[in-house]
Amino acid sequence: MTKITPSGWAGTIFFVVMILALPSLSGGQWIKIFTSTSCFIIAASGVAFMYARLGMVSLGQVALMGVGGWIMLRMNHAFNLPFEINLAVAGGITMVFGWVLAIPALRMRGLYLALITLMAAGGLEVIFSTYRFPNGGTGFWGVMPSVAAPFRRPAIATSDAAYLRYVMLATFLGFALIEAHRRLAPGRAWAMIRRSEAAALASGVNVIYYKAWAFGLSGFLAGIAGGLLAGGLGLLDAATFRASESIMLFALAVVGGARFWLGAVIAGVLYRVLPALFNDWSLDADLTLVIFGAALLHAIITAPDGLSGQIIGLFSKRKGQS
Amino acid sequence: MIELSGLTVKFGGVNALDAINATFNAPVNGIIGPNGAGKTTTMNVISGFLKCTGRIAWNGQDIGQMPAHKHTRWGLRRSFQKEQIADDLTIAENLQVILDATPGSRADKRADMERALELTGLTAQASTPAGGLNTFQRRLTDVARCLVGNPKIVKFDEPGDGLSREEANRLGDLILQVPEVTGATVLVIDHDVDLIERICVETLVLDFGKRIAFGPTRAVLDDPHVKAAYLGIEDVE
Repeated sequence: MTKITPSGWAGTIFFVVMILALPSLSGGQWIKIFTSTSCFIIAASGVAFMYARLGMVSLGQVALMGVGGWIMLRMNHAFNLPFEINLAVAGGITMVFGWVLAIPALRMRGLYLALITLMAAGGLEVIFSTYRFPNGGTGFWGVMPSVAAPFRRPAIATSDAAYLRYVMLATFLGFALIEAHRRLAPGRAWAMIRRSEAAALASGVNVIYYKAWAFGLSGFLAGIAGGLLAGGLGLLDAATFRASESIMLFALAVVGGARFWLGAVIAGVLYRVLPALFNDWSLDADLTLVIFGAALLHAIITAPDGLSGQIIGLFSKRKGQS
Repeated sequence: MIELSGLTVKFGGVNALDAINATFNAPVNGIIGPNGAGKTTTMNVISGFLKCTGRIAWNGQDIGQMPAHKHTRWGLRRSFQKEQIADDLTIAENLQVILDATPGSRADKRADMERALELTGLTAQASTPAGGLNTFQRRLTDVARCLVGNPKIVKFDEPGDGLSREEANRLGDLILQVPEVTGATVLVIDHDVDLIERICVETLVLDFGKRIAFGPTRAVLDDPHVKAAYLGIEDVE
């Protein structure tokens, strides 16, 4: 049960190399882009595991990131608590949001479940754009018109480079958390639910409990991702958390391949790095949408396990040949 | 002993099961009947998937009111017409799901799993993901799942479906061992009359949701009413 798989080793080495090298090799704006990419990888890992392990489509993940981000900023400006406590509160409350979202969804499947999560994302979009994100103002919503109050990063990661390392480490821990679930009773229960609810019930699995658990875990990851994103920029903008962004992140998780850690990494990179590259090359960033559409078609038609499935398949074939 | 008394299930105006009474005393028992007779409905009612009126009892204990997912902890096992094992999990993990829901120490559960794998001949493939198994291995995994966690009632819904004669015979032998190994009472639904005759001591025959015969299997199969309903022979006066 505790054996590390080849994919696990590959992931560990990948993260160690990235944590050591990426902040030193990149500078300025790119450090911020990679930090934000890493946050979206955490969120993508949440939707990806729900889709791959339970067959549930959640179209509210980026909106839940917004909830995590809002709580993180609110906590930062209201109290003088350490970053980690604020982050834990953001993750915890977003997990509860995930559960609340799960209540009407638990008895639904497929398209209806997806629509409910999308409607919740739409509702949150309205709230975010109306009330905006706390920036140090007074009152519950904590918004002041112009300048923002400073944001306290973790004591061990105040510089941009150190904060990128911090976020990447958190991403790695997020993956480890999902993997631990996959190997234990919840993962087995989810696999049975994915097979069929009748099979799960006949195996003694409390379907509602374990579905809610999955929503909670996915919500927790979204909350952590949102909280870390808030720490990267010091403030958040409602436009980041539109409902359409949740759909985009889910689509990219499918393109990347929901079954593998590499899939969530690819999803995050496509979501954040590709548009930034287009900007760098003076191309219209909206062109990425065309590429995403083509990639989604490719995934649906020829690569059910996404790009990561193809890459991993390539390696296992080579291993088989040698 | 499994006791069904006055078991009634209605789907709208249709009586899927109409006041079924039967007491299964034998270790392995059969339920047969033509398509739409109510066999799978009976299975679903015993599993707690469907609401019914009447009483389902095991050795005098009423089990009809339990929520579906609690049946497994109590000791009910079920193999579906189309086996329901998770492709993402290995054979051992498919068994572990049942053990997750049942009480007992880790060492006991491990020994229990090893015994079930041994009995079904799956020990060597225990770490194989179920997605790569053939039909018979999948069925064996499903049977192994029914053996772990101290079952009290084990139900097989058309277990021989899609198997060759030789495989069905091996499966029959395995089912015959279930009461001996686990102490559970077994209920088998199947269209394969040869299989039912070989392994079931007592058999209930249903047709259009009604009980048309119940008793020792041979006697039931010779009953002219059963022949008429089940084998499509003209009914006797």
